[in-house]
Amino acid sequence: MELWLNYLDQILLYATLGLSLNLLLGYAGQVSVAHAAFGAIGGYTVGYMALNYNWNFLAGTLLGMLFAFVIGTLVALPALKLSTEYLILLTLAVSSVIIGIFTTFSELGGSYGLIGLPNANIFGWSMENPRDWVIPSLVAMLLVYAFCHRLGESAFGRVLKGVREDPLATQAVGKNVFAYKVGTFGMTSALAGFAGALLAAWFQLATPSVFGFSFSLTVFAIVIFGGMANLTGTVLGAAVVVLLDPLLRRAIHLEASTASLVQLIVYGLALVVLMRLRPQGALPEGFSIWRRITKGKPKPIRIEMLDDWEPTSSVAVHQPGAGLSDEAEAVREKARERIWQEAPVILETSGVSKRFGGIVAADDLAIQLRKGTITALVGPNGAGKTTVFNLLTGFIRPDSGSVRLNGVELVGQNPEKVARMGLVRSFQDVRLMHRLTCLQNVMLAVQHQSGENLGKLLFGGRAARRSEEETRAKAMDWLGFVGMAEFADIPAGALSYGQSKLLSLSRVLATEADVLLLDEPASGIDTKWVDTVLDLVEAVREQGRTVCIVEHNLHVVGRLADHTYFMELGRITAQGTIDELSNSPRLAEAYFGTA
Amino acid sequence: MLLAVLDVETVKQLTVDGFFRGCSYGLLGAGFALILGVTGRFHFAYAFTYTFAVYMAYQFTFPWGVPFWPSAALGVLVSACVGVLIERIVYRPLAANAGPNALLAIFVASLGLGIAGENAIRLYWGSETQSYYGPDKVAYTVWGTTFINFDVWQAASAIVLVLALAAILRWTALGRQIKATRVNPDLARIIGINAGTIYLIVFFIGSVFAGVAAIWYGLKYTVDPAMGFNPVIYAFVVAFLAGTARSPIRVFITGIIVALIEQYSSIWLSARWTQTAVFVVLVLYLTFLAVKTSGFTARIRRALPAGKA
Repeated sequence: MELWLNYLDQILLYATLGLSLNLLLGYAGQVSVAHAAFGAIGGYTVGYMALNYNWNFLAGTLLGMLFAFVIGTLVALPALKLSTEYLILLTLAVSSVIIGIFTTFSELGGSYGLIGLPNANIFGWSMENPRDWVIPSLVAMLLVYAFCHRLGESAFGRVLKGVREDPLATQAVGKNVFAYKVGTFGMTSALAGFAGALLAAWFQLATPSVFGFSFSLTVFAIVIFGGMANLTGTVLGAAVVVLLDPLLRRAIHLEASTASLVQLIVYGLALVVLMRLRPQGALPEGFSIWRRITKGKPKPIRIEMLDDWEPTSSVAVHQPGAGLSDEAEAVREKARERIWQEAPVILETSGVSKRFGGIVAADDLAIQLRKGTITALVGPNGAGKTTVFNLLTGFIRPDSGSVRLNGVELVGQNPEKVARMGLVRSFQDVRLMHRLTCLQNVMLAVQHQSGENLGKLLFGGRAARRSEEETRAKAMDWLGFVGMAEFADIPAGALSYGQSKLLSLSRVLATEADVLLLDEPASGIDTKWVDTVLDLVEAVREQGRTVCIVEHNLHVVGRLADHTYFMELGRITAQGTIDELSNSPRLAEAYFGTA
Repeated sequence: MLLAVLDVETVKQLTVDGFFRGCSYGLLGAGFALILGVTGRFHFAYAFTYTFAVYMAYQFTFPWGVPFWPSAALGVLVSACVGVLIERIVYRPLAANAGPNALLAIFVASLGLGIAGENAIRLYWGSETQSYYGPDKVAYTVWGTTFINFDVWQAASAIVLVLALAAILRWTALGRQIKATRVNPDLARIIGINAGTIYLIVFFIGSVFAGVAAIWYGLKYTVDPAMGFNPVIYAFVVAFLAGTARSPIRVFITGIIVALIEQYSSIWLSARWTQTAVFVVLVLYLTFLAVKTSGFTARIRRALPAGKA
């Protein structure tokens, strides 16, 4: 009995560490193999303070969490600008340095570590045997579970998932990706320090081998086994990893030394098999045992929805130019150009230039976007049209020049800041969050969510929930606006290309930004849908928003654009109505390559 | 103070030690960089193929009575085949399955293989340190420094292998195919290069490099099931410091520099600190890299899908 209680404690404590890693690895997608080292910081602090200064276990734990938080945040600053393979390497190196430092100082016991820690004592209650530990470790596990669940399954967690799926697109809808990453790294390091402190107190020792690299791998394996971004899975994973040892020993009657080897072989191979057969882990993301019991199996996606489907927007859109003759069309265009000339300028660039080495990507650009109008940017491939979007939205910093939105300078601002100021762009290659549902994709883009603020999320009472409901309603509206309300619960990765284009439009719209930069909104989609997309863009203009499109299809430009800029080799070489531009033989040659 | 510690004899000996050690790091680094650079697989089980080579050589020599040199060659060959099998049986299907998350899936599977492999070695050969010996050890003293014959052979074989790889990459059709695959496997496929085969070849070459390094290490020191971990961490460090898409010669030289840093740091730091010193250098380098590329290029790099299926 005592033995099984011991295993139970171990499961709970390993799960605590695993949960904190899952928030980082599963939700935020940051691969860290240094998690046990952050646990070591907590464990060594508790041990050192208890042995040398008779500190109480709780005080030591708090100090350890603080140290782990500070060091974790410092490591995160450079780490999170790196790609995954460099992140693995950096966390590996950090893990080695932390353990190396512990091993080197004789005050910390050198390679023997700190041994003979006193029994942990919580408010006068000394924990002497595995039975005493059950309640505290259960409480610790539940606390960390609740914390990670609160963060992970909220607006905050949605941003983390956005960071995991596509940091660039997450920035483009106004989220401070860097702050989220660093904050999460710091917080999960502190939680690892917490778990490590408990582990050290439970083992009554803190040694380099207990918290070594192989323990980091064990924790990593627990998360992978259980399922990334599934917290219940992590608890299950901890149970499997811990219980493998006694099961093997009892089931196949192996002696202790062989059993531990066989256990490691089994678990190494299990990782390989798992990655092959079930890379999402035992319990996949979003799977809840409770929901499965109460609500039964979810309905499978209907295939016909993905194939023979046409968008039916929830708003009535009218086609102002439909059925007009060529002459009438030209007249209408003139009228629109006049409206453009009279509308107030909302975004203005002057002298914006950018060189990449010897290539001039943008040369002295002067562009104006005017309120409630659609401006088009046309030009041959490689003219630098998408670069203009990158320059305007802060993804590329111009070498010189200025971009002003309502008179406020944008040059030097981060993309997320620009987006929050009301200038949002879409991507030519869509950039959806594939593992998030369509609704979540759109919800991510909604601005001013209380649930994204950690303070309000944890201590704000019902504000976060109310904000979440509002966000959901808003996102449903925008999903309905592009006619995709019925797709709300379908993962974005399952959509056809045309549908994902619509969804990305809906995501841009949900930011409710004043100025929208749409990169080829109608390219690559079914011709019968093109008109739908154009109707939607026009409906956006009706709402008084300002739109700029990059587009190759002159039919699209002709129908939408109130004003057109023609771009060649990084320079604006002409502007006016599309009619005027396409009647110029020189431009036609530049565009089509024929005279 | 500084000069007092820096006596010429010590520095000479440290330089020689660093050079020989660096040949090993460089060889491992070149092998790992080739694998990671071309295939994009974070091949953690490299530690296992390294260890396995010397254990197989041991197996051929002692229980099976094959003469020393042929069994060393066989050990390297067998472990290289294991490396190829890992790519063919484990990584390739995984990459096909996992799509954009292939990097993480392969890293996890590779960790699993490394753990399973190490413990399989423990189960079969035992956990204790073994001595692996063959030819007699001969010590030389040149210019007041001492080193042994294994050092020289190791350096010579490492240099020959790295130069051979560089020559293959530079001048042969195979080398051009490898480089084409490294730049863009999909495009390479379109122009008729069998990227799958190139991956297998790359795993073979990389594993041979590891095996050769392991044999010399085993001869000079001893053999144990966990011996692969540290050298392979150094291989990662060297490969990343040099850049995984760079020439093997550059990687090799980086390996020597890392080893020299490690050796020289023992002048000022206690011996136990030297390994930590190398990782501190790595952390600083990665920090520098992060700051340097914190602009658009880093964002693009991160945002790009793994792409290397």
